[in-house]
Amino acid sequence: MSGATRGLDLRLPIGGLFAVLGVIVGGYGLATAGDAALYERSLTINVNLWWGAVMLAFGALLLVLARRAPRGTVRPAEESPEGRATEAREKRSGLEK
Amino acid sequence: METTAAAPVVQLTAVDYLVMAVYFAAVLGVGWALRRVTQTSTDFFLSGRSLPPWVTGLAFISANLGAQEVIGMGASGAKYGIATSHFYWIGAIPAMVFVGLFMMPFYYGSRARSVPEYLKLRFDEKTRTLNAVTFAGMTIFSSGISMYAMGKLFNLLLGWSFDVSIAVSAVIVLSYVLLGGLTSAIYNEVLQFFLIVFGFAPLVWLGMRAAGGWDGLSARLSEVATARGLPEGAYTHAWQGMGSSATNPVGVEWFGLVMGLGFVLSFGYWCTDFLVVQRAMAADSMTAARRTPLIAALPKMLFPFLVILPGMIALAIGGGVAGGEGIIPAKLAAGGAPLVDAAGRVVLDYDLATPMMLVHLFPAGMLGLGITALLASFMSGMAGNVTAFNTVWTYDIYQSHIRRGETDEHYLRMGRVATVAGILLSVAAAYVASAFNNIMDLLQLVFAFVNAPLFATFALGMFWRRSTGHGAFAGLVAGTAAAAVHHGMTLAVGASVGVKGGYFGVVHRYPSELAQTFWTAIVAWVTCFVVTIVVSLATRPRPADELRGLVYSLTPRAVDDVRSWRQRPAVLAAVVLVMTLALNFLFL
Repeated sequence: MSGATRGLDLRLPIGGLFAVLGVIVGGYGLATAGDAALYERSLTINVNLWWGAVMLAFGALLLVLARRAPRGTVRPAEESPEGRATEAREKRSGLEK
Repeated sequence: METTAAAPVVQLTAVDYLVMAVYFAAVLGVGWALRRVTQTSTDFFLSGRSLPPWVTGLAFISANLGAQEVIGMGASGAKYGIATSHFYWIGAIPAMVFVGLFMMPFYYGSRARSVPEYLKLRFDEKTRTLNAVTFAGMTIFSSGISMYAMGKLFNLLLGWSFDVSIAVSAVIVLSYVLLGGLTSAIYNEVLQFFLIVFGFAPLVWLGMRAAGGWDGLSARLSEVATARGLPEGAYTHAWQGMGSSATNPVGVEWFGLVMGLGFVLSFGYWCTDFLVVQRAMAADSMTAARRTPLIAALPKMLFPFLVILPGMIALAIGGGVAGGEGIIPAKLAAGGAPLVDAAGRVVLDYDLATPMMLVHLFPAGMLGLGITALLASFMSGMAGNVTAFNTVWTYDIYQSHIRRGETDEHYLRMGRVATVAGILLSVAAAYVASAFNNIMDLLQLVFAFVNAPLFATFALGMFWRRSTGHGAFAGLVAGTAAAAVHHGMTLAVGASVGVKGGYFGVVHRYPSELAQTFWTAIVAWVTCFVVTIVVSLATRPRPADELRGLVYSLTPRAVDDVRSWRQRPAVLAAVVLVMTLALNFLFL
């Protein structure tokens, strides 16, 4: 059974996605600030601007956490006691060669 | 395909499409980055059992958070009010705690590669095959039905072509699942989870402001309740009025609710459905697998605020669109006139509650985010179905009945073929649904009959060593038959004989369709439970030696591999249950 590490820290794509979305939505909010007709729906709140900022902050936080994480923290099943025990069982019952 | 003549409700602008494009790029990018991790079939189907619990936990709820959940719970929010949260607090959390604490040791510990394979190890081949075939069929149809609903919604709302929206989402899901297998599906489910939260949280916040806070919402909804002949607080209290089916909008009394929804249906889904259990099986250790549903339960218990509140708010704001109520339009009959129910009240198109909220409250920019969140929920549901389908097909049907003893590469290749086939079949099912709506209703009914007794089989299999394969098989068949017979002999008030029941002659009338559904499930469960016990006692048990690791009394207690007491599944489970109880009291 391959115990290869997954090769991708999930916080990177999620952080990246929200950072970019934050810039786009927040930037659009900046560009349209004061457009009363556009924000009439959202009770005159420039929801693009502040929610864009929230998304940007969330994305940036995940990116920082991913950068600071030690590499290779994912444990393959063989390293835990029950992983090894069940693997032995699996071989005995013929599920895995 | 069918296109409505009416103009779309809203037009997206360039910034909205840009948001959507960024999301597409992100999910495809995740698939691309993971293209090298799928070298064996275990990698492809089970993520090599190597994911940390927070990832599998969020994927656990996200795979279940399909478009039907987001749209459907909003619709139920408008129909039943806060009582809809019973689908979470009664209908999900207790079962999620149970599967994590008591059942995961057998799923994960037996090293079964799927839920049907556990049935094979514990019982026999025929029980496994019955479960595998019905499960595979069900995933395809539910994926198809949700695809159809989404295509129709986007056509109505945004004027997109039905064919194009189905083709684009099918191609994207196919690409990332083919590239990275289950890992890719799970990673994207976590990403989609965050997108759904970030897309809907500001909607709820704006909606609550528009409705004048909880007080404003309660005041307006008590008017609605009175107008519908219910007590004033019917929409804002989850438990008041549950004493009788006549005093709550759900139309069910507390016993049917707790036993039917909270026990039979909920445990049947969360504890035996491979779509969700597969996520936990991908975890990197037994402790991680057991913590998966418990971690999932934390956000799950708060989801009512995210998906149910928009529906309730939609009923309370906007001052009433022409013919409708709040911002929810009336459902139109074929001729274009509003539909009217038996009591003479206009039938609302409840499925539009949440989408109308997006359109009503989000300006360009945020609207793109909201629509993308809907798309994300749709894709996570579809990918969940497809990854569960390809695994069950390859391991439980192909490997055990069609081609045994091939190399691992052979099954990996088969898995990829099954992924393509699964998506194509779902697309076909979507078109069948759009042409023959009745066939889909019928199939859903059949699958409901098949599913209702499942938890009795698993509970007896895991906790009663005397139960046998013949017993399990007979119990499942009898339970399904009992469900069909009960459904055929009862009818909800106001429903007509046919797919809604009563086809064997109406012996009993339930106050609502939900009450009928819950009681059908109870009857199926009890029948399966009794028949399994009786037939088991009459047939030869398997020797204890073969059942080690598969049955509670023959399995050593799991030793938690954790660094501190806070990571223990039992501690987490206690926290989850106390919080859920508190939420129930809050909305008593």
